[in-house]
Amino acid sequence: MKGWTGHILRINLTNRTHKIETFGQEFAEKWVGGRGLALKTLWDELRPGIDPLGPENKLIIAVGPIAGVPAPNTGKTVVAAKSPLTGGFGDGNLGTRATEHIRKSGYDALIFEGQADKPIYVYIEDDKVQYFPAEDIWGKGTYDTHDYLYKRYGKGVGVLSIGQGGENLNRYAMIRSLEGRAGGRPGIGAVMGSKKLKAIVIKGSKPIPVADPEGMRKLGLDDLRKVGEINKQTGWSIQSTTGVLSWCNEVAALPVHNMRQTHHPDAWKIDGERLNNARVATYGCPNCTMRCGIAIRDHEGHESELDYENVGLLGSDLDIFELDQVGSLNYLCDDYGLDTISAGDTLAFYADAIEQGAIKGDFRFGDAEMAKKLLGQAARREGEVGNLLAEGSLRMARTIGHNSEAYAMQVKGLEISAYNCKFIPGMALAFATCPIGAHHKDSWIITFEIKQSQRDSYGPEKAAKVIELQRIRGGLFEFIVACRFPWIELGWPLDHYAEYFNKVTGLNWSLDDFWKVSDRIYALMKFFWVREFPDWDRTRDYPPMVWFDPSNADKEGPIAGKVLELDKYNQLLDHYYNQRGWDKRGIPTRQTAESLDLKDEIAEVEKYTKLE
Amino acid sequence: MIKITVKLIGPLINLAGYSEKTLEFPAETTVEEILASLPIDPLRPKIVTRNGQAVAPGEKLKDGDRLAISPIYSGG
Ligand code: SF4
Repeated sequence: MKGWTGHILRINLTNRTHKIETFGQEFAEKWVGGRGLALKTLWDELRPGIDPLGPENKLIIAVGPIAGVPAPNTGKTVVAAKSPLTGGFGDGNLGTRATEHIRKSGYDALIFEGQADKPIYVYIEDDKVQYFPAEDIWGKGTYDTHDYLYKRYGKGVGVLSIGQGGENLNRYAMIRSLEGRAGGRPGIGAVMGSKKLKAIVIKGSKPIPVADPEGMRKLGLDDLRKVGEINKQTGWSIQSTTGVLSWCNEVAALPVHNMRQTHHPDAWKIDGERLNNARVATYGCPNCTMRCGIAIRDHEGHESELDYENVGLLGSDLDIFELDQVGSLNYLCDDYGLDTISAGDTLAFYADAIEQGAIKGDFRFGDAEMAKKLLGQAARREGEVGNLLAEGSLRMARTIGHNSEAYAMQVKGLEISAYNCKFIPGMALAFATCPIGAHHKDSWIITFEIKQSQRDSYGPEKAAKVIELQRIRGGLFEFIVACRFPWIELGWPLDHYAEYFNKVTGLNWSLDDFWKVSDRIYALMKFFWVREFPDWDRTRDYPPMVWFDPSNADKEGPIAGKVLELDKYNQLLDHYYNQRGWDKRGIPTRQTAESLDLKDEIAEVEKYTKLE
Repeated sequence: MIKITVKLIGPLINLAGYSEKTLEFPAETTVEEILASLPIDPLRPKIVTRNGQAVAPGEKLKDGDRLAISPIYSGG
């Protein structure tokens, strides 16, 4: 088999044993890698209803066939598990040197199961697996943890670690790699923490199996250079993703005051221009020539690497318009290993609930110092407030009551990224149908809505666009595992990815072959949710109710007086379901699932619900 | 003459040398005419909004309008 190693390393942390398992060409072509491989493993191996923070959950670290090969932005790895935040399928990707080393160690995925009795970290080098006590780093943040491990193993290894958030089972804890980014928004870091696994260190020395190694090397290096040149010409990296902030502020899509407002006169103070002016360093993932991480000095003097989501949710959504303070909140999230999006939304929800009189507390919008304290409490689950905040906004709302769930800005339990969709129907649909909860990763259609469609349209063209983007962003880029930025931000053609895939695997796939895999993965992700929640209905694919509430409409500005309309949103959801071949509950029909070769999966899901 | 506030976004700021400016144009100036007057490659894909809303081709601007010009972002 070329492209895939065909090997998965399974590590049992309870009894500290491991074995190497194999898979064949048919399985490889059906699920490809990354999200596909992780999902299929979790589907086959997890019993529904298990505690996501118990020993039965499994942590999957999966790469794709082009991972680690020189080609634009291929340094990414997918981390996945049953989510402790949502109770459904959860995954995310992050840039890390582990990507290359997983492949060079001879694996396409690592599976961690069971639970260690004491904190440990695992060192993997090719076929060797070693378990070390993690007492010296347990309780430490991700920066110190990485330092400790780099000192011991050198800077060339791949490290994935959790911070205090994951250790203390904060439900939106992530996994971090200082060689790139953090990933696993739906609490995948908490799953790692529940296994008492502080870090994974990996180093490989084997060749990656490539069908046409010379051709791939030449093409990949050439394309890396070309992407770098386009990036320079367009100037995208001058502000990277943070340029979006000013645009969202202009078109009334910025999260402000727990998303009750859509723009703010002080937004310029934390925009991409200010950020670029304050830049002290630039960071990127391995195999990337458009390095997008802009680091500034935070209020305490640390280097803090920001992107738009961080600034939108830890800044404007909390009414904090001091860039260095936003930097501080971001630094703390990174060090504690918390998702900046969920952390920002959860703090904003807390301030809102206090303002609405639903709960008593000292936190107010705009109070950066208090926000820092609360992040620490949430990461360590300190006291009543820390424990409440560590649960995420949906569980908090259910504890608080007073109809606060309506303004907990989440879908399926996962908090919404930094786009305020109170009057952006297509993007609201994208959040609501994202298969891990409200994440912008799978589909992002705001510019299409503003430029090529009517903002107030709930027509089939928006459902079609959401699906098209999900196939590419949530499908292709997540199962071959590459960063989507060259394509989405620089217009790097998608055919290149088919070319890389074919050069690596020796296959001859067209883009249409990828879309079938994407649709299969989307259908199985939905089955995963349905198996966990057999009473599934379409309301689980709704955005927060506050976006439909006329009293929440802007009083002035571009969308004054306007909010989403529920009956029209339902029509849009019907378009989406029809185009996907899903029923009115939002579940793939038998015919759809059969056309995607999901015979065994149909038999399994039908133990829980009847397919139409 | 009409006064139009031009707001540039992202790397367009570095091309034009400013991020926001109020400029004077003859009455009934169209969006295209304003874009042509800026030092930004006309072939570069852009998204232009007038007072936060999409603009139609040939739309004439009014005194006090705010024109935001952004490269096409596709979401982080
Ligand atoms: S563009 Fe940014 S997120 Fe993507 S690979 Fe490069 S540094 Fe990582």
